[in-house]
Amino acid sequence: MRDSIISVGIDLGTSTTQLVFSRITIENLASDFNVPKIHIVDKEIIYRSGVYFTPLLSSTEINAEEVRSLIALEYLKAGINQADVATGAIIITGETARKHNASQVLNMLSDFSGEFVVAAAGPDLESVLSGRGAGADKLSKANGIVVANLDIGGGTTNMSVFRNGQLIHVSCLDIGGRLIRIENGRISYIYHKIKDLALSKNIVLNVGEEADKNKLKEICRIMTQSLAQLLYMETAEPELSRLFTNGAINYPESLKIDAVTFSGGVAGLLYGAKTEDCYQYGDIGVLLAEAIKESAWFQKIKIHQPDEIIQATVVGAGIHTTELSGSTISYDPELLPIKNIPVIRIEDSLVYTGAVEKGYKNINADGMIAVSLSGCLIKNFSDIQSTAEMLLAEMQFLRESRHPLIIVMEEDFSKVIGNAIKVRCKKAGEPCSMICIDGIAARTGDYIDIGVPVKTGRVLPVVVKTLIFNV
Amino acid sequence: MCDVKYSDVANAIFKNSKYLTEDEEIPDLSKLDQQKIYAVENPANAEAFLELKKRTKARIGLGRSGPRYKTDTLLRLRADHAAAMDAVHLPVTEELLERHNLFCVKTLCDSKATYLSRPDLGRLFSEDAIALIKEKCKPDPDVEIYVSDGLSGIAVEANIDELLPAILQGLEAEGIEAGTPFFVKYGRVAAQDQITKVLNAKVCVVLLGERPGLATAESLSAYMTYCGYPGMPELGRTVISNIHRGGTHPAEAGAHIAYLIKEMLKQKASGQDLRLK
Repeated sequence: MRDSIISVGIDLGTSTTQLVFSRITIENLASDFNVPKIHIVDKEIIYRSGVYFTPLLSSTEINAEEVRSLIALEYLKAGINQADVATGAIIITGETARKHNASQVLNMLSDFSGEFVVAAAGPDLESVLSGRGAGADKLSKANGIVVANLDIGGGTTNMSVFRNGQLIHVSCLDIGGRLIRIENGRISYIYHKIKDLALSKNIVLNVGEEADKNKLKEICRIMTQSLAQLLYMETAEPELSRLFTNGAINYPESLKIDAVTFSGGVAGLLYGAKTEDCYQYGDIGVLLAEAIKESAWFQKIKIHQPDEIIQATVVGAGIHTTELSGSTISYDPELLPIKNIPVIRIEDSLVYTGAVEKGYKNINADGMIAVSLSGCLIKNFSDIQSTAEMLLAEMQFLRESRHPLIIVMEEDFSKVIGNAIKVRCKKAGEPCSMICIDGIAARTGDYIDIGVPVKTGRVLPVVVKTLIFNV
Repeated sequence: MCDVKYSDVANAIFKNSKYLTEDEEIPDLSKLDQQKIYAVENPANAEAFLELKKRTKARIGLGRSGPRYKTDTLLRLRADHAAAMDAVHLPVTEELLERHNLFCVKTLCDSKATYLSRPDLGRLFSEDAIALIKEKCKPDPDVEIYVSDGLSGIAVEANIDELLPAILQGLEAEGIEAGTPFFVKYGRVAAQDQITKVLNAKVCVVLLGERPGLATAESLSAYMTYCGYPGMPELGRTVISNIHRGGTHPAEAGAHIAYLIKEMLKQKASGQDLRLK
């Protein structure tokens, strides 16, 4: 039994806005004589939009109206109605995420694009999506190696590193093709971090001065060195730490990278033919691509062709954000869909510890939350009863404020735990409004979205806005 | 994860064998998860191979000595084979029956040997056995659930503690009342049709030990019928197989079986006639 759903991916980037539609096929892989195991078996892109320049009203404001009509036009061209779209994600990336109306635009588009299209932002998530869109995860799994994808866009370079298909690291540098802009032969914009980076190598660059190709190329070479340091091809200089978009969090001391893929707009120039006019796009993108190609480290590393170059992020958003819950779960259909629910991860325990209420206060939550646990302590039926009682006690304060119980676990026990909870509520004569699903990993700080059941009714589409992706 | 290495256990057996007294127990090789063991020396990428091993129960990536198995591998193969044979011959314990308050009836088989050689007798009961079932069980139940040894007593021992209460709790959550559970010794699947008839049950569920294999001796199945009858076609049975800790965990399987029972009562159907979304 096969079924398919349509997913949309929209990327509002520093320089470009793009959209893809894809078809996600799901199938019960277990035989009729087994408990069902419904999985995603195929992901196929069915429509790609053109590549648009991201419409801006000013250097600090996105032109929301134009973005909306552009997306509406693409839905029309693709012949797809909002109602047909079962899942997907909109991601706002690079410099566009720094515009003051970024979150309004994101939410407006999320509501416009389909009932269960989620809004996402953040350089770490962007790194994961571009890496998966480029196929670095598949490449690492197929060859049993460590593959890094560098998604070099207009505002940022997002790196994701995969070992045997598993995400092991993400980071984001403020290195990109549009961080210096050129209009009518003069410098019209310099991002402050790039100005400082140049200054650290005794190159002074100011807005308004004439665009000197040699000088700009030298700056591009310096930016390129930062990329080499990011890939552990060269020793990191102190300046590198200042270039990280979110600071150098959890950046490993060393990492052996076997191969690299490149994606993003600048990578398009890297793999493409040489262009005549180096200021063709009104920025340093072409020069940056040249500098990378000419650098010594680029000659040394093993480079693979990615699945996607310019559209890696949007394909990642369209195809790789949605997961499926386990196939034996408990849920109250009236509660769905739910969006943007903060997650509180608790240590696995068979007794009440107060961890949920403590976590609730820590994240200043005031509405619904989802409690996430692994389920690794559960060995037998009596552990299940203890876990159900623990969860009921942990979430008692939520039930008192009439919030539903949302439980997300990794191990395949959600249906039996759901039953144990239901029976207890029934005995106490209390209502039991609950979603209890498995097969999903989430941690504190993540947000979770759970959609309406896909046609089979057995599984729910889930998006965890996080770094932990289930394989 | 399994922290113990395969070879550690084998080494312990060999190094200590001469010191073992009769009362001492030899470490149990078959307790190690074979799918988490990779025994090739100087591998290029053990991690990637272990990822692949997660997908199969086949005994691969275990190294070799010339053209032969390593000692560990050979011992494990023999241990698993022995476990499969034990599973057929070991009886279900009294303790298990007591824990779940199950009384015991026998089919027409008088021994394991008869059971193995005469499948027809494993589907029938004596008049005394039928009288006992009638006397002890609630008549006309919506759901009759019973346990049977089938071809693996070990499977019954390994799963019933989780499976039976999980089914009963699932039914309770749905407001469905189950009949009186009991145990059938030397039972074949179709014995359930006699029981359906004797008790006038709507749904009948037998939890039965499966024929053991080298992958596991603990696999159990649930065979379910709606208004079954002796001589009914096999396509009328709904089956959930592969219930064991390495397959579907018995507790989660129990919750799923409760859901299937609910659907059978609702649709008044089982087997090929049951439509699942």
